[in-house]
Amino acid sequence: MAGEVSISDFLYPEMLAEVPSPPQKIYFKGNYCSEIFQNCLAVVGSRKMSVYGVRVIEKIFSVLHKDISIVSGFMSGVDAEAHRRAIKLGLRTIAVMPCGIDYIHPENQADLYEEILSNEGLILSEFEGDFKPKSWTYPKRNRIVAGLSRAVLVVEASKNSGSLITARMANSYGRKVFVVPGSIFSNLSEGKTQISNEFAINIDSGFSINEFFGFGSGTNTYKNEKKSDSGNNVILETLKNDPMTMDELSEYLSVDISTLNKEVTYLLMSGLVTESEGKFYAC
Amino acid sequence: MLVKVKSIANRGIQTLGVDVEINVSSGGLPGLEIVGLPDKSVAESRDRVRTAFQNCGLKLPGRKIMINLAPADINKEGSFYDLPIAAGLISASLNISLPDDALFFGELSFDGSLRHTKGSFLLSLYAKENGYSRVFVPSSCAKEAASVNGIFVYAVENLSSLAEHLGGRRIISPVSSGSFTEESQNFSYKNLSRDEDLDIGEIIGQEYVKRALEICAAGGHNLIMVGPPGSGKTMLAKALVSILPDLSEEESIEVTKIYSLVGKIPPNCGLLRKRPFRNPHHTISYAGMIGGGSNPLPGEITLAHRGVLFMDEFSEFTRPVLESLRQPLESGKITVSRSRCSVDFPSKFMLIASSNPCPCGHYGDPKKECTCSENKIRNYQAKLSGPILDRIDLHVNVLPVDKNRLFSSNRSVEINSKYILDRVLKAHEIQSKRFEGEGIFFNCDMSNSQIEKYCNLKSDSKKLLLQAVEKFSLSTRAYFKIMKVARTIADINGENDVEADHIAEAVQYRSKIFLQ
Repeated sequence: MAGEVSISDFLYPEMLAEVPSPPQKIYFKGNYCSEIFQNCLAVVGSRKMSVYGVRVIEKIFSVLHKDISIVSGFMSGVDAEAHRRAIKLGLRTIAVMPCGIDYIHPENQADLYEEILSNEGLILSEFEGDFKPKSWTYPKRNRIVAGLSRAVLVVEASKNSGSLITARMANSYGRKVFVVPGSIFSNLSEGKTQISNEFAINIDSGFSINEFFGFGSGTNTYKNEKKSDSGNNVILETLKNDPMTMDELSEYLSVDISTLNKEVTYLLMSGLVTESEGKFYAC
Repeated sequence: MLVKVKSIANRGIQTLGVDVEINVSSGGLPGLEIVGLPDKSVAESRDRVRTAFQNCGLKLPGRKIMINLAPADINKEGSFYDLPIAAGLISASLNISLPDDALFFGELSFDGSLRHTKGSFLLSLYAKENGYSRVFVPSSCAKEAASVNGIFVYAVENLSSLAEHLGGRRIISPVSSGSFTEESQNFSYKNLSRDEDLDIGEIIGQEYVKRALEICAAGGHNLIMVGPPGSGKTMLAKALVSILPDLSEEESIEVTKIYSLVGKIPPNCGLLRKRPFRNPHHTISYAGMIGGGSNPLPGEITLAHRGVLFMDEFSEFTRPVLESLRQPLESGKITVSRSRCSVDFPSKFMLIASSNPCPCGHYGDPKKECTCSENKIRNYQAKLSGPILDRIDLHVNVLPVDKNRLFSSNRSVEINSKYILDRVLKAHEIQSKRFEGEGIFFNCDMSNSQIEKYCNLKSDSKKLLLQAVEKFSLSTRAYFKIMKVARTIADINGENDVEADHIAEAVQYRSKIFLQ
């Protein structure tokens, strides 16, 4: 389904109409219905997401109530991961594009684009045709992301990043802003500290979001799917406290590299550990 | 009067016999002419020989002299025809007969002395294969020529001494070929543009990469290191040389042949013992890398034969250069085809590549923020990925060492190059026993059928490997590469069978997410 909705239309999202300069007309593709706009949570964050960001989304989303729709900006990194995770969990998702409705940007995410459409998701844009994204279209897009949502979740954001702009915008519209804490050593945490000192609320689980949307706390779908037999694996326990490189592990545990290599492979294979840019993380 | 002198011509790495025919006519105006497709350096031989004769007080016959280099349809290149021409002229003018089983080779200087000439090792090899028992070469090349057993090498000092020798007045005694082990022990490697060997123990931390280097050295595997600037990639690669054993005699002959062809063997040196380490700059041309020219000469990959080809800033090399590595990485040789001929050069090298993860270099760096756009990073890594990467056995991330550790005192002293070299040597020994008669030296050279034969996985190892292939979406080639690396790890540990643990360690060096 594709089409356009103007601001005078009764199908025009109410939340969006409230913002100071709402788009006069929005174009859409996919499942346009009033329910999808009921409980929107915007998820924003860096394009260069760390493994930590992936895990944040995984954990927070895993308990979200099924009636919450995930709104994001279809960029690589946090945006794409949010859309993907939402589809996987059966949550509705809305991708707000910075370009014309017929244009897929970034191109390499065409598969995700299709996936959103085939899973009752929605693609939105205030630009028509195959208008290419410009540097000024991104902030305009952000205003829609913030405008549609009752709350914004900031996953990872460096200082002065676009995600912060969206969060500030949402705050000025009177929307709630949630933020997850991050490591003080990561520059993807700097922005989060900034806004949580000003207005954002720190959360560490999706239940707080459910509660805000009025779906009660606890009790929901969350299953502890932690794998067994991790029992007394000393490597795993160490990584749980702090992600480390192979060298750091070797020094910390005084185990030689050769032994460590194979042990870590076994952990990787059983999915208890992941690796990114040379650092190992416990899942 | 007609005299025939034997010499050679080099086409690529192949050596052909050439007859230098000298005819002194009974009449005609005095003069000297060379025919038989000589290039400029051969044609100028005329003037060098004439002047050298004059300066040595030797007389040229005052008649028309014609010189033919037969067969006449092959291009003759190089300055080494001076000596055969001069020997022929001595024979013709003094009426002395030349030995039938001798090859002549060398460049003349105006004063009649002989200069160091490239290719004397190829000459001796040709002599041996074709039943010539004597070679006459410049004295600085004698050692190189004498590295081939069973050839009498005559070290010619200058034209007069040659004339005296041929006339039987003062005999030059042949240089005997030394045995391989005592040969060129005191060879100066500085001339081969090698830095002083860096001991691997001098590098602080990076144990993970050091282990990868050990595996590479033990099994001849290829390695790529990705990491931010200043993490020690280049230093690690350079240290690899210090844990590589010397060339075996068989290998040494292959390598010496190549270096002799391009004239990279310094005067008074014989067989090369150390493995070559080539470090081409990333602006290198396509021909510079794989070899080229109308009479093709070897490129960097051939010069790195049986040694290390270190490509720093791998992703900065041009795409044709990177793609040209595919064939040699797989087959261990490169075919350089030109309109006039096509030549095969051996190029069985160990590829050590290093690269930054993105144009600014800091993607994934825990300390510094990367300033590159998503697109830039993707394009940069796209250059790394794909077919070439699939052919590299081990992939490692190199992260900068914590500054505090640079000054810490608890550095491991026992892990130095000598310690690792010992283990590498043991692994080599096991491999050479295993591959006796197979025509290969190292695990990395195993064909798929040889992998089946020698890796013989038990069911649990096989299961683990299949799981890994599934989990990290690896290619079939990667599947076999992991088996080869696991075989090497087992060899380092001195174990007969490839166990699941060995596979697990091998997988560790193949599971990098950044490159997928």
